[in-house]
Amino acid sequence: MGKVLMKGNEAMALAAIKGGCDAFFGYPITPQNEIPEYLSYHMAQHDRIFVQAESEVAAINMVYGAAGSGARVLTSSSSPGIALKQEGISYLAGSELPAVIINVMRGGPGLGGIQPSQGDYNQITRGGGNGDYKLLTFAPETLQETVNIVKASFSLADYYRNPVMIAVDGLIGQMMEPVDLDQKIDEKPTKEKDWAATGHAKKRGHRNKIVSLYLDPYDLEKHNLKLKAKYDEMLETEQRYEMINMDHNPSLVFVAYGSMARIARSAIQVLKDAGIEVGMIRPITISPFPEKAFKHLPDSVHTLLTLEMSLGQMLQDVQIVNQGRYTLDFYGRAGGVVPETEDIVEKAKAVLKGGKGQ
Amino acid sequence: MNRLWILTGHYGSGKSEVAVNLAIDEQLDYLVDLDVVNPYFRSRSVHALLEANGVSLVESTIEKATGSDLPFISAKGSRPFHDKASRAVYDLAGTQAGAKLMRQYTDIIDEREIEFWLVVNIYRMETANEAQILNLINTLEGASGLKVTGLINNSNLMHETTEEHIKKGDTVLNAVSKKTGLPIVFTFIEEEVKTNLKFAGENRRLIRHLGKHWL
Repeated sequence: MGKVLMKGNEAMALAAIKGGCDAFFGYPITPQNEIPEYLSYHMAQHDRIFVQAESEVAAINMVYGAAGSGARVLTSSSSPGIALKQEGISYLAGSELPAVIINVMRGGPGLGGIQPSQGDYNQITRGGGNGDYKLLTFAPETLQETVNIVKASFSLADYYRNPVMIAVDGLIGQMMEPVDLDQKIDEKPTKEKDWAATGHAKKRGHRNKIVSLYLDPYDLEKHNLKLKAKYDEMLETEQRYEMINMDHNPSLVFVAYGSMARIARSAIQVLKDAGIEVGMIRPITISPFPEKAFKHLPDSVHTLLTLEMSLGQMLQDVQIVNQGRYTLDFYGRAGGVVPETEDIVEKAKAVLKGGKGQ
Repeated sequence: MNRLWILTGHYGSGKSEVAVNLAIDEQLDYLVDLDVVNPYFRSRSVHALLEANGVSLVESTIEKATGSDLPFISAKGSRPFHDKASRAVYDLAGTQAGAKLMRQYTDIIDEREIEFWLVVNIYRMETANEAQILNLINTLEGASGLKVTGLINNSNLMHETTEEHIKKGDTVLNAVSKKTGLPIVFTFIEEEVKTNLKFAGENRRLIRHLGKHWL
């Protein structure tokens, strides 16, 4: 097809169709409305299913039902809507159902605002719903990366039998960028869904059950440990990140993801033009957090400056991984305020001077 | 050219950037932002720039609330129709949803005063070829009750745009022009594209006021 110009939300919707999404269930909310709007027309064109549910809670439970029958299912929402879906997400994880959830983040808490934010980091990486579970979560930076991840996400969800989240801030949903929808991507091998509840078609007398209820604590603990083994496998094999400008012996390294990484990238260029080399660790997965990236920093590194469109959420993961090795500093904006490149440049200069900056 | 320029087109064809560029370059009196769809990257987000250039911005009734999700249409949108000495550009939201809004002006529109221009980027999947563009013209004319009077070639892949991309857009729009008799009024060329070619219509440089450099 060659490159086309697409809006982030449209591109994610089309990528889902290309990734083999069979069914979408959702409820509108800004700034992700172009996803259901696009799919409301195009899913039918591809003989797939689109349902606008009566609420977010209904939508996530439709996802549960469709995923339980073996379909590749998608839902999308934005922060307050994702908050409403947390119970369903916990049930999906507990029942080991694959599903893809797109979260186009906006300011919070509560209804917050409609401008871009990364304030759902804790909700995503610390559970959100009840119980011991984790989501495999990607936080891409460009539309091309987003498209490739959305396409691959269905096979990842199937492989782990676990919900996969794609978390982007509103800017990535709303911005336009050239994308190639047909780039080759790595997909997990597909396995037959012999666990799916599809009636007695194949094995008479045998019932597949989709449950998250285990009344015997020993049974539930066994189930919890089985889930943990999956999360350990994700931690081992799914950590993704990008190291930027590390071969120029930076003493300062940014840690930033999503739109914040785009702005930090511009700041790195501005600083480079001024003769200052700054590196960046860019997490592509935020769950699991890419701790491997922090083990391979050049000897020149002294300070890690975490940058967020939230107020110190990813910073806690950086603190856990850091274990006192490097000096840590932080810059965050919230409420939908998007910092300018110059804000990051100034903060970096202040940190390098030994001051705390803003 | 008539004094009121109404920009229509598919979602993401670049109407807002084109509207802001035209308003500033042509020192228009009004930019009427009738975008009821997009929450970000609306022409109203550059109200200070427009004001500094002497362009009156007509936006939502809740003015300067850039974070507002309520697409109120200001009654001031009809002012350019009455202010007969004024020149204005109307920035509609994409496709039918946007074009339909012109129906509110049915009683005051004098077709001799307006231009209804279709902004096209052939790198949008829905307007990639002649047949799709002809189909879109039909749809938009039906929704708005107005006749398209000209075409604007805004074919681009943003920062990845080359001379070749604009040329391809030129070829497709020339075919549409031939079929419909509609003139190509402007070709917008991304700021950084190096070219000595002359494309159909008036050739203008597109300065991206809404999209930031790190986008």
